[in-house]
Amino acid sequence: MIATNGKDTIGLTLNVWRQAGPDAEGAFETYHLNSVSTHMSFLEMLDVLNEQLLAEGREPVAFDHDCREGICGSCGVVLNGQAHGPDRDTTVCQLHMRRFHDGDTITIEPFRAEAFPVVKDLVVDRSAFDRIIGVGGFVSARTGAAPDANAIPVPKEEADLAMDAASCIGCGACVASCPNAAAMLFVSAKVSHLGRLPQGAPERDERVVAMVQAMDGEGFGNCTNVGECEAACPKGISVGNIARLNRDFVRATIRRR
Amino acid sequence: MSSRLGAFLGSSIGKKTLMSLTGLGLVVFLIAHLAGNLTLYADGTGETYAAYAQKLKDLGPGLWFMELGLAAMFVAHIALAFRTSMENREARKSRYRVRGTKGEANLPNSSMLITGTVVLVFLVIHLLDFRFSEGLAPPHADVLAPKVVDRLASFTGAAIYLIGGVAVLIHLGHAFRSALRTLGVHHPQYENLIKRTGTGLAVALGLGFVSFPVILFASPDNYGGRGAESAQVAPAEQEQAPASGSPTVPTAAPAREEG
Repeated sequence: MIATNGKDTIGLTLNVWRQAGPDAEGAFETYHLNSVSTHMSFLEMLDVLNEQLLAEGREPVAFDHDCREGICGSCGVVLNGQAHGPDRDTTVCQLHMRRFHDGDTITIEPFRAEAFPVVKDLVVDRSAFDRIIGVGGFVSARTGAAPDANAIPVPKEEADLAMDAASCIGCGACVASCPNAAAMLFVSAKVSHLGRLPQGAPERDERVVAMVQAMDGEGFGNCTNVGECEAACPKGISVGNIARLNRDFVRATIRRR
Repeated sequence: MSSRLGAFLGSSIGKKTLMSLTGLGLVVFLIAHLAGNLTLYADGTGETYAAYAQKLKDLGPGLWFMELGLAAMFVAHIALAFRTSMENREARKSRYRVRGTKGEANLPNSSMLITGTVVLVFLVIHLLDFRFSEGLAPPHADVLAPKVVDRLASFTGAAIYLIGGVAVLIHLGHAFRSALRTLGVHHPQYENLIKRTGTGLAVALGLGFVSFPVILFASPDNYGGRGAESAQVAPAEQEQAPASGSPTVPTAAPAREEG
């Protein structure tokens, strides 16, 4: 059992961004929690906060969540300036309170980007990602019935790299952590995932051009290769995918019919 | 094809690609520029430096062509830098209360706009100091070394060129690796090599340019400044020397054919 300072519970001060709606003015509110179990996940701690707020007859804090297993991409907030909190390769639902110390102050903010408008409190609208996927993040070729396993040979290394890219859960932490609110890591993961596989390769050029155009149209920033996206990504998507996206985009521009 | 190129250059990746290409072109220029400037250290009279400047001048129309190309690269790089920076600002209008990092943000990669702007201001001063010190026509090659030395022997001159050199050093600390990545160069095997090459380039070029204000401020008499001819000239008089000179000048400025 891991406990902080030898205790199983800690006291925390939370500065939480509260915003009643998309057009409402937001502000930070401060809350105190006296006995937070160090075995809780961060979202469970927010559940406890909401129980306390409800008991006091106040509005609970809205935040996104679903699987709480780190695989769905629903959750995501910025803790003390870090998307998904201080740990690498970890979604905020998998972050545990043992990571914090008794008496800590935690500032909790929504992912901030013009392309991710705040819906309420810590919930942001990430449908910009859906629209980018909608213009090419899929394979449209009719393939008939499911082919036999291994009927289409895929080199092991390519399969591994495609799977690495496919592990992107679309949470938006790359945008939240990027100093320019760029979505290059997300788009590059989708483009690499599909473009590396034989099923997705035929539409590689059209896909990359359409998805980059959609990305630009949503108002994301430009990549300056700082690398904070890779560090914040709970799935460890490599910035090498961004280099590959850049290559693909230039190549598609030249050879696309 | 033209609409294809237009669409490319209008895209985020197209803009960054052009910035990377022009940036790498400017790095090549800086290497040539520093190599030329280092001739100032070749002797105590500035003769080698003057000969180098004269050689550039003798290129005639070729030099005009190179200067125009250089100017085009600067203008494109700077214009795209300001444009993309403005877009980036637009992409996040509400700031985080707490600004955190997971270790990747550092001084060079977080201050490209600031260091770039400092270099731009420096560039204007630098061009006025030397390239346009005698109007549109380039300055005479034989007076260039004393001009440079006198400029850098003054406190303000040394300070300006020191700040310019340091800004170049910090800017290049991120530039090389970033440009290569934007151009699609990334490989786990070579990432360290690229990183080290970029840092090495930044340090070599930065320290090279910084050396001029430091060394010439400390001992102007040893490098063909006015003081070399009359070593007893009072410091105040030295500072009033009409021409300003900087180490960076020769490539862009001195070389052109007169008239």
